[in-house]
Amino acid sequence: MDLEALWLTLRLAAATTAILLLVALPLAWWIASRQGLLTALVQAVVALPLVLPPTVLGFYLLVAMGPLTAPGRMLIQVVGHPLAFSFEGLLIGSVLYSLPFAVQPLVAGFEAVDRGYIEAAEGLGASPWRVFSSVVLPMARASLLTGAVLTFTHTVGEFGVVLMLGGNIPGATRTLSISIYDLVQEGSYAAANRTALALVGFAAAALVVIYLLPSVRRGEGRQADVVR
Amino acid sequence: MRHRVGGVTLDVEFSLKQRWTVLFGPSGCGKTTVLRTIAGFVRPEAGLIEKDDLVLVDRDAGRFVPPHLRPVRSAMQTAWMFPHRSVLGNLLYGSGWTSKPHDAREIAEQVMSLFQLDELADRRPRELSGGERQRASVARAVVSAVTFQGPCGALLLLDEPFTGLDAALRDELLVGLREWLERWGVPVLSVTHDLGEAFRLGAEVIRIAEGRVAEQGAVEVVLAEERWRLLERLGASLPAGPTARGSHPS
Repeated sequence: MDLEALWLTLRLAAATTAILLLVALPLAWWIASRQGLLTALVQAVVALPLVLPPTVLGFYLLVAMGPLTAPGRMLIQVVGHPLAFSFEGLLIGSVLYSLPFAVQPLVAGFEAVDRGYIEAAEGLGASPWRVFSSVVLPMARASLLTGAVLTFTHTVGEFGVVLMLGGNIPGATRTLSISIYDLVQEGSYAAANRTALALVGFAAAALVVIYLLPSVRRGEGRQADVVR
Repeated sequence: MRHRVGGVTLDVEFSLKQRWTVLFGPSGCGKTTVLRTIAGFVRPEAGLIEKDDLVLVDRDAGRFVPPHLRPVRSAMQTAWMFPHRSVLGNLLYGSGWTSKPHDAREIAEQVMSLFQLDELADRRPRELSGGERQRASVARAVVSAVTFQGPCGALLLLDEPFTGLDAALRDELLVGLREWLERWGVPVLSVTHDLGEAFRLGAEVIRIAEGRVAEQGAVEVVLAEERWRLLERLGASLPAGPTARGSHPS
């Protein structure tokens, strides 16, 4: 197995998960506590990566980060080099591509916390922040874990966006899924099989963890089964 | 305050004069909405709500204080016990938001003993019976009201706090709680449709009928008619005979 690609993939998945949880927590709480056209629009934008071909997202990001657009030129000036075909560029792509996998389990988890608990806390003098941190978040912690595992796993399995945005630079943008593609192109089926099998095992283990969650948490608030 | 909810138009005006006041009325007359409006969970269509000199709601002036900033603590009819905290953890939840008062735990223990929850301190809410959860929920609001930190004390709102408990336990808790809250100087506004509870408390009663305040005053005066009607109903259901009459003290 290409160990350099493995290390890069793990770094990318860990960084994407960390950034996405920070972004997804306030965003999901905002979506879960509101209704209306604006919320629907935000939800639609968040869900877009689920239905778009990854190449479409990758293509637009490639253009947006390059010298063809004003924001792209500004980015190049600030960072000093084009973000496309770099680890940072790949990270931005991964964050956007995995956004729904972090946000949607959290929205489902937050919505499952009955309004009665929130009013009970407010009626005891808890500020909105306290209500969120000491009641809503602990009661939705299974969803937080689900979101984290899904984001990590999904980033590990990403292909289209990486290929469009990062190309295939060893140590910088060549992830495990790209490495499999390379191996197949070279005709090294046995090596491709070893890497592919490792990815299958990893994804299956992660899903088992998620499906185990409801029984682990039984009786302590409802678990939102978002991957049913 | 004025507010429309479901098919009922509420239009009530009252002020609390005694330490314990009871909102009394049939189910669906809007008692709970009055309580929820004072707590801050409902924005009335029109009205003014004040506690001491603090204006909580003034629709004309566009003022609305959010629930957590009101000198008000509440326990609603459903016991929403936080499932991830122990009973003691739940009771301490609303005590001292800037810093826990040093005696918060002591107060919580006293309240647990008052509500006969001592043995359950370390249990999770899912391990409690319905009645135990209800008592714990009321106890949690009591601890929060007693440990309230502010220029003036907190008003405690209780929605049907003892409905569903057996009468003997209910009476014992009511009397104990009333004495205990009097000692701490915590005023209470509670909701009930239970005549026995209102009489046992000996509180000031505000009778609500058809969305309006029908009468306010001492329980013996305001609810005399209801009491008479209830006794009459009880009398009518008793077999006519000297033994039955003799066994009924009233």
